[in-house]
Amino acid sequence: MAAEEDPDPGPLVRMFAVTGGRARAVGEAFDVIAVVTTIGMPYDQAGLSPEHLAALRVATRPTTVADIGTRLRLPLNITRVLLSDLRSEGLVSIDPPAATAGVLNERIYQEVLNGLRAL
Amino acid sequence: MDYARSDALAIKILIAGGFGVGKTTLVSAVSEIQPLSTEELLSDRGTRVDDTSGVEAKTTTTVALDFGRITLREGLWIYLFGTPGQDRFWFMWDELAIGALGAVVLADTRRLGDAFPAVDFFEQRHIPYMVAVNEFDGARRHDPNVIRRALAVPGHVPLMVCDARDRESAKEVLLALVRHAKDMSGVRA
Repeated sequence: MAAEEDPDPGPLVRMFAVTGGRARAVGEAFDVIAVVTTIGMPYDQAGLSPEHLAALRVATRPTTVADIGTRLRLPLNITRVLLSDLRSEGLVSIDPPAATAGVLNERIYQEVLNGLRAL
Repeated sequence: MDYARSDALAIKILIAGGFGVGKTTLVSAVSEIQPLSTEELLSDRGTRVDDTSGVEAKTTTTVALDFGRITLREGLWIYLFGTPGQDRFWFMWDELAIGALGAVVLADTRRLGDAFPAVDFFEQRHIPYMVAVNEFDGARRHDPNVIRRALAVPGHVPLMVCDARDRESAKEVLLALVRHAKDMSGVRA
């Protein structure tokens, strides 16, 4: 990997700086396609980084973790740390994907099949 | 909010197979977005990376995770994830596989053996999967039954020939997988 030969650890250091050096999300683990929804905006934004606020703005419409990471141009686990912060603050909800949540019923399978055929 | 959050559903399908078998090509063929590459920062498993010394010691590396998206309607999405082809990132499959509707194992008749690890992985975890044989230009046509026997794929698992570059062909592959996953869920229920 190019990263292993690159003597400059700059980008990694910068990315960890976004999370205050933390590499792990707090609380219950969540999927790469868990749906994140902003459920509140902070009265005081002082404790939140620009990245936290950007994630809150993106998730005003329900958005997956993967898409938030892409929009913020951040690696997945950095994104996860930020989102877990927001969850701890009660600012976002993070819902598991359909298959894990056990909501994949006959109707949804049929809707997926119809939707794929109509593409 | 526009709608109750429980209305938003994301479905995950994995595209697995050996390195260079056409996983990203298949994702590109049906995705509404150019396959996006989100990087996963990896730290040495079992090593705590609570401080930046982990970075300085180069125990952190990145692996690209390609994904595409199909919006079926507002709030119902299919995400297609190309699993990392390199063996050293195998452990990522476990995390990706949790909560997946199912998986497509792409196979190349010139390197059929490359598909074995993926077939094994999904068999062992009882994750619905199907095998799609990507017929490259000039590739020899093979009898699907011969391929099925060679890969030891059980009779109930769909196996079909596809062209990963072709949108209609890729759609047929996904339809076959979803139908199979639906049948399997009926068996499990």
